[in-house]
Amino acid sequence: MSLYLFQALNGIGLGMIYFLISVGLTIIFGLLNFVNFAHGAYYLLGSYLCFTLVSLTGSFWLALVIAPVVVAMLAWVTEKTLIRRAYHLPHTFHILITLGIALIIQELSIAIWGPIGKTVAVPDALSGVISIGDFFYPKYRLFVILFTAVIALALWLLLERTRFGALVRAGSEDAQTVSLLGTHIHKLFALTFALGVGLAGLAGVLAAPIRGVHPFIGPEVLGLAFVVVVIGGMGSFSGALVGGLVVGLVQSLMTTLWPQGASLMIYGAMAVVILLRPYGLFGRA
Amino acid sequence: MQASKWKKLLTVAVLSAATTAVCSAEEVTVYGVKSLSGSFASYGKYADMGSKLAVEDYGNLLGSPVRYQAIDTEGNAGKAVRKVQEAISQQGARFFNGATLSSTALAIGKEVNKVGGVFMTPAGADELTGSDCNMATFRWSVPTYGAIHETVEPMIKAHPEWKRWYTITPQYVFGEALLSNAKAVFEAEGIEHVGNSYHSLQEQEFSGYLTNAMAAKPDVLLLLNFGSQSSNALRQAVNFGLKNQMKILVAWSSGLDQLQELGADVAEGVYFGAQYWHTVDTPMNKALVKRVREAYDMNPNYPMAADYIGTTVILDAIAKAGTTEGAAVAKALEATSYQGPTGDEVVRAADHQVLKNYYLLKGKAASEMQDDDDYVEIVSSGKSFPDESSLECTRS
Repeated sequence: MSLYLFQALNGIGLGMIYFLISVGLTIIFGLLNFVNFAHGAYYLLGSYLCFTLVSLTGSFWLALVIAPVVVAMLAWVTEKTLIRRAYHLPHTFHILITLGIALIIQELSIAIWGPIGKTVAVPDALSGVISIGDFFYPKYRLFVILFTAVIALALWLLLERTRFGALVRAGSEDAQTVSLLGTHIHKLFALTFALGVGLAGLAGVLAAPIRGVHPFIGPEVLGLAFVVVVIGGMGSFSGALVGGLVVGLVQSLMTTLWPQGASLMIYGAMAVVILLRPYGLFGRA
Repeated sequence: MQASKWKKLLTVAVLSAATTAVCSAEEVTVYGVKSLSGSFASYGKYADMGSKLAVEDYGNLLGSPVRYQAIDTEGNAGKAVRKVQEAISQQGARFFNGATLSSTALAIGKEVNKVGGVFMTPAGADELTGSDCNMATFRWSVPTYGAIHETVEPMIKAHPEWKRWYTITPQYVFGEALLSNAKAVFEAEGIEHVGNSYHSLQEQEFSGYLTNAMAAKPDVLLLLNFGSQSSNALRQAVNFGLKNQMKILVAWSSGLDQLQELGADVAEGVYFGAQYWHTVDTPMNKALVKRVREAYDMNPNYPMAADYIGTTVILDAIAKAGTTEGAAVAKALEATSYQGPTGDEVVRAADHQVLKNYYLLKGKAASEMQDDDDYVEIVSSGKSFPDESSLECTRS
């Protein structure tokens, strides 16, 4: 297998991870019109909870189930007590509030887990590599790709084929009318916020064995998520998937073509998309 | 009557000011420039603990207790410089120790030099004792030249069959310096440099670069990045099974704190270059380990040891000079030799570089560890520094 073909495969794998990192952000923005700058911090919290649960129980699978749920519950409480008061305010207020939340989570993480980073071991069943020609690919990354594909399908079904999804989409267009039709709109929004943030926590859990856990990982993840969301189109579920794949492919292929510019070209791709389609590949004006 | 009262008041005020000036002239304060917040807070915290302990252990100096004051650089050179300038202008600060980032250390060194102070740093940039050297700046850490010579050379000598090396390099001054030194060693030793991947300073995803390395089929993968980048590169290399395909060397690790982060499963069989390791068998290090365990219930790591000794040698130089006048203290520090944590350490007068050991470590299996911090065995150690004739430092 040629180096470029393997890099393309690796890029698809990276793209799926980036999709998972960004999909929660785009759901919250698209459906609630809320800019969540604490997205990276919730990812961080998911990673740290994963580390703690794996350390205590030795089971990554338990962490995969429990950590995102705990993060989502925390988000639900935050939405009920703080976030919902800001929905009607301009985006600058959303940014201020969520940046504050992000800083609190980051500093609490340092206080609880210390400033030194942590490593989460790959679960035994997924350790090792598979051989593809002259190359090797980690079984764990393969699992993450497949798992993320399943999550993507489940999310699409939830948002496009269920009553919950229809209500959320309707609520994002005209919350007052949906409320007048008898739906508890605040509850709906709280659940949507918890879902989006829970997905950030899930991404944190899945990425922990690959990237480790570090108290300052949040801003990096947030930046990456915004790049994906801007490329795909703010609020577009399909856009997050395609945006993630574009970023993953560009990054992976550029590490062979122009290694020192691989990170830069992610932003280059974003600039090109903004120039050609200011609202992103799947965004709406 | 009125005139007499004013005269008395004036006399008291002048005497009081003079007394204060005499007292404060003898009182020594060491300013610790540490990244206590921001991306490098994990480093700054331990560096701060090292400096604090050194001051606490020193007791009195020139008849007064030594004081310590931390300055949070926030991992940002611009903010660090502003805070250092404030300390200099408002508090008369002259003695500084620390700075994690090379850019921060270079900027602080210039500010301290302007007022004729003393600044001891463990930062990585070779410019500190090279093209940007000055009277005030002293560096404890071994330069990139020594880091490469004390890691790559011993590995080649022990395993001449490891002929093909691949490098992954961050594209900034520090990475370039390590790479050019590595290339020089490869050429001298007849090693085939089968490829290099540059990456940016922000990169945390290394799968693409590791794929390039796999394609080149090297015997050794040499990681020339630092901190979280080298941790992530190594972690991902292990995920990709590269430990079974080739040897891996992290030329410039941060030592114990990085190994605690990575854990034995990742570190097993990997080679690490390090400025310091807590089991080094020297009298001063044994005392330091005992003291740190008493004070903090932990083993000293690199930032703690570096800033403990950095602060101590500044205080020793003040004692030797018998004054807090910066230029005299800098002069006293030049050509000083002392027992440091790595053994005999000498401050070279020509460039203010501390000549000390650098270590090649090899990760142990978890089953071989004797205690929680027994991650590595020391494979070799030694001092390698550029000759004085080849120094770029032109300070008169």
